[in-house]
Amino acid sequence: MYLKELSLINGTSGDESRVRSFIKQKIQDKVDEIWEDRLGNLIAFKKGTKANRKILFAAHMDEVGFMVTNIDEDGTLCFAPVGSVETQVVLGKQVKINDSIPGVIGFKPIHLQEKDQLLRPPKFEELRIYIGAKNKDEALKMVKIGDYVNFVTEYREDGRRASGKAFDDRVGCSVLMDVIDIQKRYENDVYFAFVVQEEVGLRGSAVVVEQVKPDVAIVIEGTIAGDDPGLEKDRWSTHLGEGPAVTFMHSGYVVNQKVFQAILSVAEKHGIPYQFRRRTQGSTDAGRLARTGPGTASGVISVPTRYIHSPVCMIDFDDYANTVRLIEKILEEGEVFAK
Amino acid sequence: MNTKELLMQLSNLDGPSGFETLVLDVIEPILAKVCDRTWRNRVGTLVGEKKGSGKKKVGIFAHVDEIGLVVARVEEGNFLRLETVGGVDPKVLLAQRVKVYTKKGTISGIVGTLPPHLQKEEHRSRFPDYDKIFVDVSCDSSADAVRVGDVCVFDVKAMEINGKVCGKALDNRAGCASLLLAAESLQKLKHESDVYFIFSSQEEINGPGASSIAYELELDEAIVVDVTHANVKQGAFPTIKLGEGPALAVGPAIDPEFYKRSVEIAQRNGVKTQIEPIPARSGTDTDQVQITRIGVRTLLVSIPLMYMHTPVEVVDPKDVEETSRLLALIVAE
Repeated sequence: MYLKELSLINGTSGDESRVRSFIKQKIQDKVDEIWEDRLGNLIAFKKGTKANRKILFAAHMDEVGFMVTNIDEDGTLCFAPVGSVETQVVLGKQVKINDSIPGVIGFKPIHLQEKDQLLRPPKFEELRIYIGAKNKDEALKMVKIGDYVNFVTEYREDGRRASGKAFDDRVGCSVLMDVIDIQKRYENDVYFAFVVQEEVGLRGSAVVVEQVKPDVAIVIEGTIAGDDPGLEKDRWSTHLGEGPAVTFMHSGYVVNQKVFQAILSVAEKHGIPYQFRRRTQGSTDAGRLARTGPGTASGVISVPTRYIHSPVCMIDFDDYANTVRLIEKILEEGEVFAK
Repeated sequence: MNTKELLMQLSNLDGPSGFETLVLDVIEPILAKVCDRTWRNRVGTLVGEKKGSGKKKVGIFAHVDEIGLVVARVEEGNFLRLETVGGVDPKVLLAQRVKVYTKKGTISGIVGTLPPHLQKEEHRSRFPDYDKIFVDVSCDSSADAVRVGDVCVFDVKAMEINGKVCGKALDNRAGCASLLLAAESLQKLKHESDVYFIFSSQEEINGPGASSIAYELELDEAIVVDVTHANVKQGAFPTIKLGEGPALAVGPAIDPEFYKRSVEIAQRNGVKTQIEPIPARSGTDTDQVQITRIGVRTLLVSIPLMYMHTPVEVVDPKDVEETSRLLALIVAE
């Protein structure tokens, strides 16, 4: 399991190189072929014994974060979100600019706020990052416009759960790396794509289809849970600890029925617990893979993840282990997609 | 004492109002080395006495408590509801790690947030208040130990940002640090006054920490060291700046002669100061101390601090050092 290392690496959409180098270094000796494409996706290939069809597994390397958009005269930094982040989760947080410069996102002290400010979410344009610079000139020696910004969050695990940043989708990357580590050879050709720019519109995966031409694709995600007191129980999406979540549809894509049923049948045959992702909001690279080129029959399997798109997410290790196992069994059942 | 290290050490200690023992246990041995004797009063305030000739009694106050939270309800699935201890902005609480002090040790928790995918307009347009905010402790294998009444704090480590120190509770551990530094330097200076270094409890909730000890000691003069808002525009008021030295307050809570004398001492010795007009109550221990017994002559010295009452408060160690220098100079006069 590589979740700890992956979680601690900073890799906002468009700035995935550190994540890519880490994954490449760990897997390159365990696959038959590996290459980086023009956009920065990392694709690994394992030849099948029969090679009846090509199966693609994809996880995205990028995480939501921010970009420095301007530098004020007082030395503070204006910034904008990269991917979907609400200002609600950014106040009072430590951040790192360009993977090196420490900063903080503060806010007007509660003593000085207007009454109607107490529960009103600010706009990003009202917020600044403080890096300890006296003025613009000093700030310009430390950072520049266009630098990426990440949350600073310790990774922790205790008992059955782990918490940290960027689990969407480093958990998917870690799952696929674990599958590669199993080092078995399967009947079908298997491709593992670690893609860029998912959080800014499913962009990296768009160029994978042309390079791989897969028959079937399965996207591995860290997906919304919502199983907490913030929502009524009947509005929860997935439940931590109840197994991998299988998607039937999400924004912009209804999952291919063959792929969907194949995933369920393997899980049932091997007694692997699973659940459905019961909310359809959000989208994944499965949607992009399905609508690229000639179209790909794609599915999604996710590790339920609480509080995604915030500085601190949470998963359950049982869900993680069962996701790895489900993928392993799908690969072993080479003919499941033939039906 | 290295100022930066001292600030970070004190920031990382946890001590919301009424729960200051863990902080005092670290401060007291440091204080004992530079004072004649130390003791704690009935309401948890720590005092270090440094005898002079007994001509005058001067107390130097810094509150030792910080804002915090308390567990008000434990719900199924290892979720907690909170009440605040002092003014904790709900906006800076979301998606933070927090630490809960239970009888069986500390528990790690996360203040949960709804992912954008599941938010509706009602969520986007309004922060959850304390009726809706919850802590998820299911990531800690000892989560079942949490009980109602357990104290909860921001779980954040102090760090350095371009020479400044950033962390929680620098309101008022920065003040505490300046007292320790002043006590240290006072060892090399002669002073006629009996000087009391006072680390008072429960300031953040207007509690009894400072007034009780002012009563006990029958002080003639009191210098209260606290923090003030830096680098933020406040209407008609001057902007206090980080790194420009301590701010000396003027207003009804301050003795005008004491203020005048202190400004002169600062000028004579090249201590850069700023001026902070406070037209009414100061919102610090000064307010209570001034009206204790027959009255105490007060001075309020504030260390500039950014982002007060958040987990990312920022102070400049230079301001803390200059504050301590000024304190020592004033009492050594």
